[in-house]
Amino acid sequence: MIANIVFFLLVGALPYYIFLEKSEKFSSKFIFQLSAFLLTCAIVLSFFIENEYSKTLVVIAYISAMYSVYRAMKTTNFYKLAYYFIYINAPFFLLFEENGAFYSLSLLISLFGLYAIANFYEKHYGSANYLYVRGITLATPLVGIYITVYLISIGLYPPLPNSLFFLAYVFDTEADFLWYIIIISIYCGNFLVSMKVLEKSIFGKTNPNIHYVDLNTKEKIPHFTIIVLLGLLSLYATKEIFTWVL
Amino acid sequence: MEKIILLIPAIPIVIAFLLIFVNKKELIPKISLLLSSMIALLGLYGAYYVISNETEITGFGGLLIYNQLSAILVPYVAILGLVIRKYATKYMWDEAGYKRFFILLNFIFASIYLLVMSNNLIVLALAWQLMSVGLYLLVSFNVGSKTAVKNARWTMYIHKSADFVFILAVILTYHLFGSFDLAVLKEQWLVMSQNPINNPMIFAVGLLYLIAAMMKSAIVPFHIWLPYTSEAPTPVSGLMHAGVVNVGGILLNKMAYLLILTPAVLNIAFVIGLFTAIFASMLMLVVSDIKRSLGYSTVGQMGYMIMEVGLGAFSLAVYHLIVHGIFKASLFLESGSVIKYARNDSIVPERLSYKIFSKEKLKYYKVKTVNRIALFTFVPVVTFIGVKMLLEPEFFEANATLVILAFAWLTGIQFFLSYFRVAKPNSLKVILGIISSFALIFFTYEYIGSSLEHFLYGEDALLFYKAATLNVSMAMAVAVVIFLMFIGCLFIFRKEGGNSKRKPDQSKWSYYRFLANEGYYFTMFKSSKKGEL
Repeated sequence: MIANIVFFLLVGALPYYIFLEKSEKFSSKFIFQLSAFLLTCAIVLSFFIENEYSKTLVVIAYISAMYSVYRAMKTTNFYKLAYYFIYINAPFFLLFEENGAFYSLSLLISLFGLYAIANFYEKHYGSANYLYVRGITLATPLVGIYITVYLISIGLYPPLPNSLFFLAYVFDTEADFLWYIIIISIYCGNFLVSMKVLEKSIFGKTNPNIHYVDLNTKEKIPHFTIIVLLGLLSLYATKEIFTWVL
Repeated sequence: MEKIILLIPAIPIVIAFLLIFVNKKELIPKISLLLSSMIALLGLYGAYYVISNETEITGFGGLLIYNQLSAILVPYVAILGLVIRKYATKYMWDEAGYKRFFILLNFIFASIYLLVMSNNLIVLALAWQLMSVGLYLLVSFNVGSKTAVKNARWTMYIHKSADFVFILAVILTYHLFGSFDLAVLKEQWLVMSQNPINNPMIFAVGLLYLIAAMMKSAIVPFHIWLPYTSEAPTPVSGLMHAGVVNVGGILLNKMAYLLILTPAVLNIAFVIGLFTAIFASMLMLVVSDIKRSLGYSTVGQMGYMIMEVGLGAFSLAVYHLIVHGIFKASLFLESGSVIKYARNDSIVPERLSYKIFSKEKLKYYKVKTVNRIALFTFVPVVTFIGVKMLLEPEFFEANATLVILAFAWLTGIQFFLSYFRVAKPNSLKVILGIISSFALIFFTYEYIGSSLEHFLYGEDALLFYKAATLNVSMAMAVAVVIFLMFIGCLFIFRKEGGNSKRKPDQSKWSYYRFLANEGYYFTMFKSSKKGEL
């Protein structure tokens, strides 16, 4: 039970809604860094602690995840979006724990991609808000491609690793009612939020009041690294799925 | 050596990857065309190998297969892909995102090949989802257009729902039958079909596959994505109407042996397909936007296709989707040049048919009701009977006969009236033309359909017909066809007969309004969005 509570505190959204959200001391950038760090700790711990999940905690995490979906649909800030995605996927981690660790890892990597995009926006456009920086597919194609890849990955589309790990766990486990509810909600939640952001950020006409800037060589490196990591995870996930199937 | 054919799905991915590094614009279509011709050649070689050796090519641990179905569909998709790429070379030249377009095009083709050649439910699920995302990015290619992006969103919602339903079906299939391998599952389903099955879970699985197929094939009520995505570039429209919508039919063909265990699902498919065919065809005639009209035409054809599946005529569905795909792709791709010619000459294209059927000047005169009935009911019935005398009696035992007859008749007329400019619809020449067109299409359809059936399913095809338990007697079928034709012709004659001064009554206006508003389908969505519902 203690292990369950520890995992819940590390990945669940409740601590955020109780403590972090109301404090003005913490910026959304810091909250993402903290949440990502805690999720990393949870992923590492899950390999060492054998544990049966607690239904109560999964249900609580699920409720806060659904609230996070609602909040994520409202926000136009990449930092906030990134940590909301962690909370949306918390019930999945709690349900599958070490089995779901690779899913959480690939999610974390995709979110670091979004974080890098947020940094880029903050540096060049003054904030990580994407609402008025529209139409980047044509204005800054590289940024557009990276955002598309990250969001498609989070939106659970193959051949990106999130979707492959998700499918692998879904096919490989015994299903009960709670399982169905969580799986369906996460599948739809991730998709709805990421598609909404994709539509609002990369599509649309370019804003004539904004001076668009594409990634320079130095800025390309973290994104390239993230894509390579996602690619490697995809290969691993494909191998996992087909080793199991065959 | 023949295993190399199984690399077909990887080739478009390689092309897309290569294109990322190509900076010279002229090289983009050249590389794309060159390598995709390789796919067409490999596909044709594969088809030759499968036909001549009467065998299947499997590989990658049984995950991929090049069987009879692939031997037909892969060369078709590959040649279609070549034409679309060639067309897009010039058509897309001045568009922003030329390279992006070719990359996405190759990406979606890879998913289609993977889907056709998959022999495993997980591979199928991956290809199924890959296609959704590829389609979304292609439909929203015109990123600056609000409506294009909005319609792409709808497309994405429906396709994601299809993905979800499909994954659910795969999970249940695995839990029920314990395998993802389609070859293993086929054997299992064949054995099971020998005894009566009364398992509601099998019905649920069959129904989920049908729903997933309906969503991807734009069957009513999931049709909204297709007629409204015409803002996509013309090559994408061509691809959507000739390739993407067909995947529902391909899936149902792959699941054919499961569906023989669930006759109720086949019946549902028939009823929904019939409704879609009629409803979408009516909308096609009424909507004012020509591209939307084409969209509804495709929805109607997909309705026919699902209806054929519902009657157990799986191979006919394959033939239908290929023929329709070629026809619709040519319509989309030809539209630009027709507009160009029409700007110079209003009666272009002037063909021999124009001289035969249109040079006569229109003369409206009153036709007696008895003559109308005789002309448009007696003639087809005599033709049907003539056809019956010429064909084997076994042919008429299958339920699919109804579809073949109705389809041949409707297509015959549609083919005739859309290809030839007809001035006098009731002249002897036109009637003879329509009958010849019917006979031509009927025999082609029947001959190729039977050959395809034998090639794809052999003796098993009879099992499908037996499973389709919805019995419609021949007499009833003919009666319905006669009634529909009579009503249709009555409308045509009243219009042609010079009654234009009379104001249509209220019920006709209401009926027209209902169709012109596309069944108030979108009004309902808008109202629900505003919270009025």
